[in-house]
Amino acid sequence: MEIKCYIQASAAISPQQSFEGSYEPQLLPLEARNLLRAQEPGYAGFIPPNSLRRMSRLLKMGLTTALQCLRNANAPVPGAIITGTGRGSLQDTEKFLHDIRTYEETALNPTPFIQSTYNSVNGLIALQQQCTDYNNTFVHRGFSFEHALLDSLLQIQEGAESVLTGGFDEMTLEHFFIKSRIGYWKSALTQPAEMLVSGTPGAIAGEGATFFLIGTAPGAVELMGMQMSYKPDAAGVSETLAQFLAQHGVKEEEIDLLVSGRNGDVRFDHFYDIAEKALTPATAKIHFKQFCGEYDTAGAFGMWTATQELLSGRHKTALIYNHFYGEQHTFILLQRH
Amino acid sequence: MEALKLKLKQEIIEALNLQDTKPEDIDDNAPLFGEGLGLDSIDSLELMVLLERNYKIKVEDPREGRKILQSVQSMAEFIMSKQAA
Repeated sequence: MEIKCYIQASAAISPQQSFEGSYEPQLLPLEARNLLRAQEPGYAGFIPPNSLRRMSRLLKMGLTTALQCLRNANAPVPGAIITGTGRGSLQDTEKFLHDIRTYEETALNPTPFIQSTYNSVNGLIALQQQCTDYNNTFVHRGFSFEHALLDSLLQIQEGAESVLTGGFDEMTLEHFFIKSRIGYWKSALTQPAEMLVSGTPGAIAGEGATFFLIGTAPGAVELMGMQMSYKPDAAGVSETLAQFLAQHGVKEEEIDLLVSGRNGDVRFDHFYDIAEKALTPATAKIHFKQFCGEYDTAGAFGMWTATQELLSGRHKTALIYNHFYGEQHTFILLQRH
Repeated sequence: MEALKLKLKQEIIEALNLQDTKPEDIDDNAPLFGEGLGLDSIDSLELMVLLERNYKIKVEDPREGRKILQSVQSMAEFIMSKQAA
């Protein structure tokens, strides 16, 4: 990249206590099903009561995370708002579809329909912060956040000083059930502490909202670059990683932290072996989906995890490698300054 | 009429998710929009849907809707007039 990009602030609502600003990931216990639920904060300090009453869960999570990120950056109006979501507000979508069936396509309440559109969170952020600049939402399953990040980097190369970028997805019980029918989740209750050695197909479901303010003003963590690859084979992953590191002038031995999306799904975990073998044995490894579960925009939580690790001073250069069910693969490089 | 107004208030609170509001907090004649409950244009659409779903009354003319949705009293009077017809 010609112009350097830095992560100037971040915020995350996740199954962890991430929103309060502390970074102490825990292996949370599961009781009823393989689903890590996000821990929601109080929204009253972020959203006016008259708006709050109408918003569904994902909208509150997305908007509040975005506002917290802007507060952390002390920058109320970003140069652009770019987000990614795999599913948008499932709660609203399900309610709207349910009402269509119940009321036979008559007497439909407008609110769930309005809020079920993917760009609702972006619109709310823009309205609340009076931001009239570039505003876009990407919906590409496991590449949703990554496309938002790519667009953000391009916006910065074209002159934007800062971009608010993020990813958000929620899980409903109905959607959890539908996805369980097509093998997305492990069939037996599996604890996050055991998921990586379970030897079974499927993942543990998760959800969350993660935002970053990235921009040109020098900060502690530089976003060096990102590379996406669609449905590569094992050789393709290896080749893409080597090219990506060479392109950014980073040697394998310089990477002292690998933040990996390994989720214990025996069908696809072999891809992570490739990245781990390419790095040195001394490279520290964090498997972030033990903390947030699997969802379309989990990669954003991976980037948040890597950012927190670099800010802690424990590591200098972090490689994030994530893929979504073996199809959408992404490498991201971060470096502390 | 009193029973209908109480029922309407409960339905409005539920439909519009008016947290921390109880039926007794809503004055029969207080304006629903602007002052009073401070509802907005999306709420007016939701109230139209409420009338259609719960009372099978469809308000076709938006100008008529403005009068009907003035207060709980006006809504109750409208419902009773339609049910009597």
